Formats: sequence, structure tokens, C-alpha cells
Amino acid sequence: MNKSTLSLCALAIAFLFALNTTGQTISGYVKDSATGEALIGALVKAEKSGTAADIKGFFSLKVSQGVHTITVTYLGYQSQTLTVDVSKDVILNIRLPQTGIKAKEAVVTGERNNKNVTSTEMSRVELTGEQVKTLPVIFGEPDVLKAITLLPGIKSGGEGGTGFYVRGGGPDQNLVLMDDAVIYNPSHLLGFLSVFNTDAVRNVEVIKGGMPANYGGRLSSILNVNLKEGNDKEYDVSGGVGLISSRLMFEGPIKKGKSAFMVAGRRTYIDALVKPFLTTEQKANGYYFYDFNAKAHFNIDEKNKIIFSGYFGRDIFTFKSPVNKLVKFQVGWGNAAASLRWYHSFNKKLYSNTVAIYNRYDLNNKFEFGENGFQLSSGLQDWNIKHDFYYTPSSKHQIKTGVQYIYHTFTPGIATGQVGTISIDERINKQYAHESAVYFLDEFKAGKRFTINAGLRLVSFTQVGPFTEKIFDDQDVEIGNGKSYGKGEPIKTYLGLEPRFAATYLLNSNTSLKASFTRTYQFLHLATTSGAQFPADLWVPSSKLVRPQIAYQYAVGLFKNFNENAYETSIEAYYKPMFNQIEFKPGAELFFNQNLENEMIFGQGLSYGIEVFGKKKFGKLTGWIGYTWSRTTRQFDELNQGEPFFFRYDRTHDISLVGTYQINAKWSGTMVFVYGTGNAATLPTGRYAYRAGYDIEKNEPKFTFVDLYDKVNDFRLPAYHRLDISFTYIKKKTARYESSWNFSIYNLYNRANPYFIYFVPDVDALKVRAYMVYLFPILPSVAWNFKF
Amino acid sequence: MQLTKTYSCFALLLLLCSCEKEITVNLPPSKPSLVVEASINQQFPNLNYVYISRTVDYFNPDLSLNGVSNAQVFITSGSVSGTDTTWNEGSRIQLFDINNIPGVDSLLQGFTGIYFNPLLIPQVGVPYRLDIEVGSEKITGVTSIPKVVNIDTVYWRQELSTNKSDTNMFVTFEFNDGPEKNNYRLAIYTGQNPLLIGWGAAESFRTFDDSFIDNGKRPYSFFSPFKYGDTLNLYLSSVGRREYLFWESFVEAANNGGPFATPISVKSNIKGAIGSFTGYGVSFRRMILR
Repeated sequence: MNKSTLSLCALAIAFLFALNTTGQTISGYVKDSATGEALIGALVKAEKSGTAADIKGFFSLKVSQGVHTITVTYLGYQSQTLTVDVSKDVILNIRLPQTGIKAKEAVVTGERNNKNVTSTEMSRVELTGEQVKTLPVIFGEPDVLKAITLLPGIKSGGEGGTGFYVRGGGPDQNLVLMDDAVIYNPSHLLGFLSVFNTDAVRNVEVIKGGMPANYGGRLSSILNVNLKEGNDKEYDVSGGVGLISSRLMFEGPIKKGKSAFMVAGRRTYIDALVKPFLTTEQKANGYYFYDFNAKAHFNIDEKNKIIFSGYFGRDIFTFKSPVNKLVKFQVGWGNAAASLRWYHSFNKKLYSNTVAIYNRYDLNNKFEFGENGFQLSSGLQDWNIKHDFYYTPSSKHQIKTGVQYIYHTFTPGIATGQVGTISIDERINKQYAHESAVYFLDEFKAGKRFTINAGLRLVSFTQVGPFTEKIFDDQDVEIGNGKSYGKGEPIKTYLGLEPRFAATYLLNSNTSLKASFTRTYQFLHLATTSGAQFPADLWVPSSKLVRPQIAYQYAVGLFKNFNENAYETSIEAYYKPMFNQIEFKPGAELFFNQNLENEMIFGQGLSYGIEVFGKKKFGKLTGWIGYTWSRTTRQFDELNQGEPFFFRYDRTHDISLVGTYQINAKWSGTMVFVYGTGNAATLPTGRYAYRAGYDIEKNEPKFTFVDLYDKVNDFRLPAYHRLDISFTYIKKKTARYESSWNFSIYNLYNRANPYFIYFVPDVDALKVRAYMVYLFPILPSVAWNFKF
Repeated sequence: MQLTKTYSCFALLLLLCSCEKEITVNLPPSKPSLVVEASINQQFPNLNYVYISRTVDYFNPDLSLNGVSNAQVFITSGSVSGTDTTWNEGSRIQLFDINNIPGVDSLLQGFTGIYFNPLLIPQVGVPYRLDIEVGSEKITGVTSIPKVVNIDTVYWRQELSTNKSDTNMFVTFEFNDGPEKNNYRLAIYTGQNPLLIGWGAAESFRTFDDSFIDNGKRPYSFFSPFKYGDTLNLYLSSVGRREYLFWESFVEAANNGGPFATPISVKSNIKGAIGSFTGYGVSFRRMILR
């Protein structure tokens, strides 16, 4: 870590301790009454002040002496109101019960508060794992990433996919975290399912704008997936059986009231199901994925808590040639992550959170043809440590400060094997980098109506050795080595300052105006030329040539609640210019390319839009409606004759409507409707005949048609829209056992939504015909969920 | 990119439940551009030719070749000294429209835009310059014929069938890849005809280099079998790097399509038109698979 980073950190901590404090303190923990799990982010409010529970469920609130009414609320839980006589510091241990079954099955549950109005957060959305399970699904598979694309400002990448796009950013501009560990490829099945097992997921939050200073590393959004910590009171088993996979979660106390564990697993069995219908040759081919989560927490004492979280998942695809028994191919890819967190409370006003994280993504391909064969592998891994302080010196200030350091190792490609007399041992140069950040933020009340969250984040990225520069001629042939760098020797350093600012002005208790400004840097870039998520997509670091991506985001919003906070509404506008954006040349060779940077081109992007959101939180009918109008463009000198062009996922109009109706104690129904302007696509405008020859036997010319492209993303695919419905039937529910069925119909009115377009020359009719492929027609599915 | 294609094939398994329908697409017309395919080699005069055509609107109902006649086409040889190339203007040879060459015109019915001269006999290691004039439009390109890499041995494995003509023949050939950086194009043709009329007359092609299988005796196995009794013609050609990059991009562009397709433009190695001028160092083997 460099000197400037350390200096800023020291300054921040000194400032933190220098702040004045007055009054009495109400502090304690907010936990789930059934499982004892900490309720992270639970809102604790007195009359004039409020705070949110931290990662351990701990809160600390400064109040004056006297009688106070304390309200504690948390999404998906019943609120509690307490009257507390404060003559000295008070400790409260609050246990919130989950909302009843009726409310629980609703998509939007929980809090009857005006947090959305009063907090400075303005582009943050949250879902619980239980909510995700109630939404209509494909193939009986509830999915976290698909669920969040129903929220305003978050767009789905395509039919059935888990890729998501936030306010004009690409999928690589979202930081996907699972218990603080970065998940570089968050999908299974080439993007059709995410790596998150909903049984293990406690909640998901998405920060799509106004990013506070404690977050960074990506331009567009933070997706935070928090796993369950385990029930420290009793053993629980829950799971589900879907059409293509099953999942199971087991949790329970290690030492009652002190420590607990959670393990969860999931595996597809479509390969096993279809096997009886395959020929012997076909049985050699197959695909499956699995993933495994484990988490445990240990409350050492009142001041210390340790949490371990781990994940391992893999996709495996095998192929054996039906015509040539010597030819075999296997590819496997997946993520692994582990984190160890130590939570320490210094006193009622100050606590720290220290996390050590390891995460890895790798891809391995194995080709065999008889005695010959080779393996290709690529990937990256991070060692990461974070140290955060949370300090509440008074009812007017909530301070966070901390440092983060990541050591990245990029392995773009390794090839080993034997072909003929040739032993293969080729390696694309590994790359190494230090990434660090130090931040400070203070959320403070500047008056009765005015709250400001101001922060500053200093980021640094240094590519280091060992590394040997390769020199290429103008024909892209490697002609020698350039400068060599020793282990740890700096090659290129980038420093960036990221100011973060958010403010809320309360017009009245139910209405507020909010504004935010952020600047973000991104030092890692995804090398892909496709709209899909391929396992072979590479992450590449900033270097001498590749400068960090930078984005600014300005947002303003009006937030208003009605009917005692039963209805939430908001309207937000944002403007987001992006610089040093990266694209790859058409037809770029991304895999096993020593000169990958030569395939990159650099440009800029712009996104702006308005998001309107309305939510009904209580009653038999709950749900939300979101509408986004936006425009997103990119501009590269080398593309589209240098003219700006629409981003592939530019979507002028985007509507999502989610409604849940509680029919009776056993039945509830959910409806989802989505509409989006069609994706921008590049289609051929011309063609030519090439590779000419003459077929003597047929006495006619032979040639191949090649497409010619003129404008980039100049064509709009037809609009995307569909209606899904699902019904949840609670078959049995007791204190110890719960069994429910989810019946879904995806694409109820059988809309043919565009997946891609292809063309076929019709020689007889002398015309070129265009065909649109649509992936999923009306699709019913069923899933069984259980808990005991 | 090959790997990406493999994943694409895998992803296509997901399309089992997909459907499709014909739609109407209205696209603006494109401006016509010249396209050139120029080939020279050291062994087969019939594979020394230049084919000139123009691009057409994508939805133009004319699916013919749109060849360009009345072009002036010349090839000039030169010599290399260090990094300098000196052109021997006296060696300039003109290629003629085949429709104006007696004896050839009747052979290739329906072809326009092919330029040819049987007197053109290129040499290995010599640089060649292509000059074309189509009205006021000028096209130039440079190539040379790299050192020939010979096909050393060819062998095959049989998978017997009750009917002998259905017996699968899995063929492997070997060649010595030297320490220098080599780029290859392989053209495969099964049949008795002694002449390949244009590279496009071959049945299939492979484009590969020695980026990670380098410097040694290298086997090349065909994954798909031929049949017992087939006459197999193999043309293994070494080509320059620019030419290789063009043909590699051509393969991508010609096979582009599907849900993950991205617009791909060929990496031309000529100026003034789309296309390539490729010098082939050809090694040829013909065998009957028995």
C-alpha cells in the first residue's frame, strides 16, 4: 500500500476519534427471534435520531436523558416499538419475529416506516431469499439475479438470462459479492441460472447509484448477496425440488445461542433424467452443475464475533464424438470463495469489521484425440483484506472509515500437452496487481430536515511484476521480449479520488428531495465480444495501455409515501457519463492471445434516464410498478465511423409490474409483467461472394457469401414483453414443518420475444429471408419447497 | 474464438425448446464496394487468379457473384534487401478476363470477374505486387510465397463396416513444423478430378497456426471420417501472417450467426477494396483410401 493511502487512513481514524460526544447511549443487538441471526441493516429509530444495525446486528443510538420511543423495523419482520426511560446508557437486545405467513408470502413485506423517504440512500433496492421464491420462475428454478431485474433501473440481458445491466453499464460493471467475496462469473448454464442458491440466501441488496464511499471497484452497481448465518437455536432443514435441479439447506446451532452453521447444496439432474432416452454414444455427453455453500458464526463474547463463509461451484460439460471415438472434450468452470470475518466492538460507539477473503474463478478445458491431447486453462484469483470502522459519536453523526487491499493474479492462458513429437507448454504471461482503497464517510444531520452523507474514497491500482513485455510486429507476430520486471516491481500505477455525496431534504415526514453525486473507478475489465456470459470470458487488469474506466453519476429524486407509509413512490433522474470504456475489435481473438491489448479499442459512454417507482406494501394485494425511460450510447473512433451508437442494451422504455394477492391462508398468487424496448442490434446491410471456385462435376460456380456491416446497433429488435403468473400453495405449515408448492406459468400469452435473428438466402424465391428465433414459448413448471 | 464456438454449440442445446418465425426486416441499402480475391502459388497455375466483384445490398434478390469485368489487373515481382522491397517493373504481367481467353471462356460458364494468365509462374520467397484498376478505382496489395512445409506421411485407421464402402477411414497426416512462426491453410477435396478450379472448389478448409503446437513433427487428425475408397486430395499451404489473419477472420465472418454472433469484418491485406492477396506455398498429396 502506498504512503498516500496510509496517510489518508491515519487522518480518517484520527478524525474519527476526535469527534465530540454528548448525551446517553441506547445500544444493543437486533436479531431474528427464531434463529438468532443478526438482522443487518435493521432500522432503529428514536424520535429525533436513527441508525441501522451493523453486520452483527449491533446498533448504537445517542439520545438525551428522558423517556424515548424506540421503533425497530426490518424488511420481512414485524416491527417493534419500545418505550425506554433513559437516565444512563441502556442496552437493548431486540428479537424481531418474521412476519406471519400471509405477509411472508407476499412479494413485498415488512416495514411500515418511511426509511425510503428519510435515508440518504436513493438508488438502493433489496429483496429477501423468501421473496425470490414466490416469483414466477422458469423450470421451477427461483433465481436471485432474475428477480432483481424486475426492479426499476435494472435490466435483464435477455430471455431467461441472469445478466443484468444497471443504468447503462455493462455486466462487467456490476460488482457481485457473496458475503464480501467477489464472484467473477455469477452464472451457471451459460447465464440461464445464477450461482446463488435461494435457500442459502438471506437477502440481496443492489446499489445502482449514489454509491457510498465504503463501496467501490465497479462503475455501475454493487450486488450484495448475504447468506444465512445459521440458526443458533434449533436445527432446520429446507430445500426445494425443481424440474432441472434440487437444493437442500441445513442449519443449526453448534453451541446453542452462541454459534451456528449453515450448509447448502444444489445440483442439476437434467443429465440423469434424460439418460434413459439417450443412445450409448449420446450418454457420453452431458452437462451438470453443482454448488455448495457453508457458513458458520461464533459469538466469542459480547465484543467479538467470527463468521466464516465459503462457496464452491462448478459447471461440467463433457463431449465424446459420436463418429470418432478417439475425440473427447471436457470443460469445467466455476468460482470458489472463502471469507473469514472478525467483528469487534470497542465500545458502544465504535466497532470494527475485519474480513479476509480469498476468491477464484477458473476454466479448464481438456481435449483428447487418441494419444494426442492438451489442456487449456485460464482464470484469476484474489487475496483480499478489508478493515472497517463504524463510529457513532452522537445522534447527528454516523461515521464509517476503512481500508481495503486486494492482490490480483490473472492467468490468461496455460496450454500443456503432447501432440506428435511436440510437447506443449505455452503460457500467456500472468499478470499481477495490487488494488487498494481507503475511505471515509460521515452521514450527518445538518438540521432537522437536512441529512448529508459525504464521503471520499482514494483508490490505487498498480500492475506489478514478474512480467516480461512482449513485442509484436505490425503483423501481430511476437518478435521478442521487451522490458522485464522483477517480482513486485511496479509497472504502472493509477491513483483516483472518488468523491461521494448524497443528501436528503425532508419536505415533511412523508416527502423528501434527494440528490447524489458519485465518481467511480474500475480497474478490471471483462474481455468479451458477446452479449452472453461465456466461461472463457477473461478479466484483464488496467495496464500501461489499458486505462481505468471512470464514471460520474448525478442523480436527483423525489420520494413520497402515502397512507401511513403503506404506499411508497419515487421518481429519480440520473445522468451518467462514462470514460475509457472498452470494446473489442470485431472478430477479436480473445482466447490464448498474448497480444490481447492489441484487440482492444477505447471510447466513452453516456446514459441518462428517469425512473418512476410505486410500491404497495400492505394488504391482500401487494407489489410494485416501475417504469424507466432511458438512453444509453457508446462512442468509439474505430466503430460506426466514430459516430455515437446505441449501447446493445439501450432500452428507451422499460416497465415491470409485480403483484401478489393473498387469496386465503393456503393460496397466494403472483403476477409479473415486463415490457422493454427491443435491444439494439447490428445487422448486415450488404454481402459479397468470396472463396470462389468452379464445381466441375456440377458445372457451376461455388462461392461463400460473407455479410457486410455498416452501422453499429442501428436496428431495433421487436419489443420484449411477457406475463408470468405463479401460485403458491401452502400444503402444510406447523411450527416444525412447512411444505409448499409453486406452480408457475412463464410467458402466459405465449409472446414470441426475440432471441436472435438470422437470414437465409432463398435461391428459388430469389430473396433473403429473415427469421426470428424466440426461446421460451408458454412454459408451465412446478417446484416443491419444504422446511422442517 | 474456436473455443467460443464450442460453447456456442453447447448453448444451442438450450435452444431445443426454441421456436422461430419469419419476419420482415427493413435495412438501409449499403454503398457498393469492390471485393478482391487474389491467389498465387508456386505449383498449380490454375490456382493463380484474381477474382473481382462488388458488394450488393443484403436483400438484393440477385444471388449471383456480381463479378466485375473490364478491370486492368497486373502482378509484378520484386526483390527484398533488408527491409526494402524493389519492384522489377519489367516483370509486370497482365491477367486477363477469362471470358476473353480462348479455350478457357467456354470452360467456366457463368463466371465473370475472374482474371488469369497461364504464363504467371510465381516463385517461393519472392515478393509480388498486385495492381488493379477498375475505372478510376485503384487497388494494390503485396504478398509473397512462404517456404513450403511438406506433408511427410499420411496414414489412416479403419472402422470396418459390413458394407465396405461404408467403412470409416480416420485420416492423419504429419508434417514438420519448423522453429519459425508458420501459418497454414489446408484445403481438402475428395474426387478424381486432377485440377482444382479455384480454391473455392475444395470441399472444406482449415486455417491454423503454430501458436502453441510449435517446432516438431506435428500430426493433423481429421475428426470426421472419410469413406473407404475415397480419393483424398490434401493441399497444405503455408501463408504469410497478414494472409493468415485475413483467412482466419474470413472463417469467422463466413460462419457468423446464432444467438451470440457479433458483427465481424474481414481483416483485408489489400488497399482500395475488401479482400486479400495471398501467396500459397503449396504441398500437395493425393491418395486413395484403401
